[in-house]
Amino acid sequence: MIGIDDKEFNEEELLAQSADLLELRFLNKDNAVFARTPGGFVSLDYAGIHYDRVGVYRTFPLTEPESYISIREADEKAREIGMVEKLTDIDRDQAEMLREQLRLRYFMPVIQKVISVKDEYGYAYFDVMTNFGACRFTTHMGSEAFVSLTDTRIMITDLDGNRYEIPDINRLTVAERKKLDLFI
Amino acid sequence: MRLKLLSQGEQERFESLLPLEPGERISYCVPVDLPLDMEDGRPSVTPLYRWVTEKNRLLLMVTNKQLFIVDSREDYNGSKWLVRKERLADYKEIKCESQVNCGILVGTKHSGEKVLIARFSMKEIVRVSYVAQGANLYCRGTEELVTSDEREKYCERCGRALPGTNTCPYCGGGMVTLKKFWNLCGGYQYKLLAISLLMVVSSLISLGMPAIQQSFIDESLMNRSGTIADVLVFVGLMLAATGLLIGINTLKYWLCVSMGALISMDLRRRLYLKIQTLSLSFINERKPGELMNRVASDTTQIRQFMEEVFGSMVSTLVTMIGALLFMLLINWRLTLLTTCLILVVIVVTRIFWHRIHRIFHKQWLKEDKLRSGLQDVISGMRVVKSFGREQAETEKFDQLTREYALIQKKNEGFWAVFYPILTFIMGMGSYLAIYFGGRDVLLGTMSVGTLIQFVTYTGYLYGPLGWMTHLPRSVMQMITSLNRIYDVLDEQPKIVNAKKAVKLEIRGDVDFTDVSFGYHSYDPVLEHIDLHVKQGEMIGFVGASGTGKSTMINLIMRLYDVNRGTLCIDGVNIKDIDQECLHSQIGVVLQETFLFSGSILNNLRYAKPDATMTEIIQAAKSANAHDFICKMPDGYNTYVGEHGYNLSGGERQRIAIARAILNNPRLLILDEATSALDTESEFLIQQALDRLTAGRTTFAIAHRLSTLRNADRLVVIDGHNIAEVGTHNELLEKQGIYYKLVQAQLQMAKVEKPVAFSQ
Repeated sequence: MIGIDDKEFNEEELLAQSADLLELRFLNKDNAVFARTPGGFVSLDYAGIHYDRVGVYRTFPLTEPESYISIREADEKAREIGMVEKLTDIDRDQAEMLREQLRLRYFMPVIQKVISVKDEYGYAYFDVMTNFGACRFTTHMGSEAFVSLTDTRIMITDLDGNRYEIPDINRLTVAERKKLDLFI
Repeated sequence: MRLKLLSQGEQERFESLLPLEPGERISYCVPVDLPLDMEDGRPSVTPLYRWVTEKNRLLLMVTNKQLFIVDSREDYNGSKWLVRKERLADYKEIKCESQVNCGILVGTKHSGEKVLIARFSMKEIVRVSYVAQGANLYCRGTEELVTSDEREKYCERCGRALPGTNTCPYCGGGMVTLKKFWNLCGGYQYKLLAISLLMVVSSLISLGMPAIQQSFIDESLMNRSGTIADVLVFVGLMLAATGLLIGINTLKYWLCVSMGALISMDLRRRLYLKIQTLSLSFINERKPGELMNRVASDTTQIRQFMEEVFGSMVSTLVTMIGALLFMLLINWRLTLLTTCLILVVIVVTRIFWHRIHRIFHKQWLKEDKLRSGLQDVISGMRVVKSFGREQAETEKFDQLTREYALIQKKNEGFWAVFYPILTFIMGMGSYLAIYFGGRDVLLGTMSVGTLIQFVTYTGYLYGPLGWMTHLPRSVMQMITSLNRIYDVLDEQPKIVNAKKAVKLEIRGDVDFTDVSFGYHSYDPVLEHIDLHVKQGEMIGFVGASGTGKSTMINLIMRLYDVNRGTLCIDGVNIKDIDQECLHSQIGVVLQETFLFSGSILNNLRYAKPDATMTEIIQAAKSANAHDFICKMPDGYNTYVGEHGYNLSGGERQRIAIARAILNNPRLLILDEATSALDTESEFLIQQALDRLTAGRTTFAIAHRLSTLRNADRLVVIDGHNIAEVGTHNELLEKQGIYYKLVQAQLQMAKVEKPVAFSQ
């Protein structure tokens, strides 16, 4: 054996690191301070450490948009710093900052009106009105473009990888449902 | 993919509008389709205006000095149109970060501060990431343009999705492809000529038969002047004509089938050849199923078209036109009266088939769901059983089958009811003909024979209408398949032998000089790599997964060409070395050992087809493979591969090593050659490798660092760069990344088994 045993190898540190990964830490008013950065991101002071920029992730993006927000380091490894169980757990202004970051990170327009659907040679061409404005997009005709999240909630993925949501199929008009008939 | 979506005029206009320095020009211009307002550091993404349909509203423009975001809908005299202006010199890096179904452009200032610049949907993300890379080069002071080989997803002219091709089958691309196809058919001109001739003859016979019928009825039957001989002659004539028709059609069909088979074989062969000559990047850019599809189903599509459509297309058209002409000759007024329904029939059949297509597509979707549900459960049966979820799964499956059965019942019902109705509607023309014609017969202006002849022609005219409504679809499908095929055939291989490619007897010096490479030009994997390897040296690549170790090896094998910098072997640029010559002197043992279906002997010989038995046994012995091969009942003749003899991972690995040795390669590449093996086989393989690497330049990747104990130098790759270089001891003393890796593995080894880092 060479040169390893006499070097100080801190087993405890490694163990602590892996234990660290197991621990569920919640951030709240008392232990964390978020602040806007001039560049448009959010910084965090937590447990005596200042993070210039943190990533704000939803852990249940489709079902729990305002709870269990994971706050992660902004580098490629994106190690978790802690979780915000509910956005109401932190200061109102700071919660708003996190919402801004979430709106930045997630993009799934909600389809409010189906104007027309045309299927042609293996592709379906949609013309819809979303909460982000009017939009045309194209999907494959295969079944993977349409995912039923629940019996009434549908998610559509287009050729580019954008996703669209129909929160409640029953809220569409009969005529609109008929246009989507082929897919649901 | 274009990265400057500006016409010459627009570019000049913007260049005069934007605050540019003399000589500064717009290099990139792409849309960023999501609005982003920044008010004192608050990114506001409220969707204030219409998205996506308002094409190219926000434009991201990059010059060699600055970056702009321009609102092309605002009045250029005001101040609002220039949304954002950044000097590239202020930034260390500009990066496209992908978010969830969207992306953001982030700049890093020299102080380390991150700045949010733009936001866009997935529609633009590929383009923007290329432009970010281009801006990045300017930030670092490199005046170089980034280009993109990526395909457009949509036709720029008609907006339709492109079916995996470069040209749109609708916008002219189809005609070009058809012309190419015509050239391909040119090789079978005699067959084609024969087919066309047969088609015309069969049409003429079909058209002639009602005329014979007419004269027989009117001249022999109606005035009762004919004899039994006349009847016999008529029957004989009809029999002969029908027999001839059957014969001709059979011959025609046979010719079409054989031509279809020949053409599709031709295409398949050319496709396969092409795919082999194309570089790996072409294959990696596509899903494996996609290329298989092009070889298998697209060529089948062509064959089917030749068999089912092409053969009857011309003869049906000739028959229809002929029938119409005869009808006009007989009685133009009656013709007009009977044909006025054609339009109705066409519309009705079109609606019917459209509806049929839709409902059966729905059924197909359900079937697909059912099948994947079934596959899910059956392949996960162990899990289902161990969690005791049989009941729940049964219910889920029940639901799916019930839904499928329901839709199936509905569809078949629809078919059963409406298909007869459709047939009835298609026969409408004949009813009209009989009504109006019958009146004429009663009035004495038309003979019975002529009426029957007329009605038969009406049938000829209306009969194929249903089939005709399918025609555009079949033709379009064929063109799309053809397009997909020619797309591959027309692809130029990215890695080609240089004109003066040299055949080099490799000694084994390998030099990376300032090499940068990424599989996509916007996503660098290696940057500024400098590494000089001397003949006979063994280099170990170490680093976390995904850092570019395998990429280094791909470059040495020249599966890809470097983007920047040079890679030389024995001082000769790798691009100037004959590819075959290079590959024949490189031995490779990869992590996943791929053995072809065939005997062990054939697999060993793969590297050197003319190897003698002695050489093969010698190579197997050096790889510690000879013994286990001998113990198998069929020895070296043992069949391996799919459905073959089941070799263990270690055994496969040793065969791969023997295969690599057999060639006596000057460069040896070991990519995780000893991963996932038990201790004994690892020991055996390690021994084999030690023999193998002696005197050869060797590049080895291993997660288990003990495998690299014999390496002359270890190269630690981290963050696109070479982080550390040195021997095991040097790196340990440095206490850097390698030191940490060793320590982590020692800890793991304490749990598993003792590993000696002895020297």
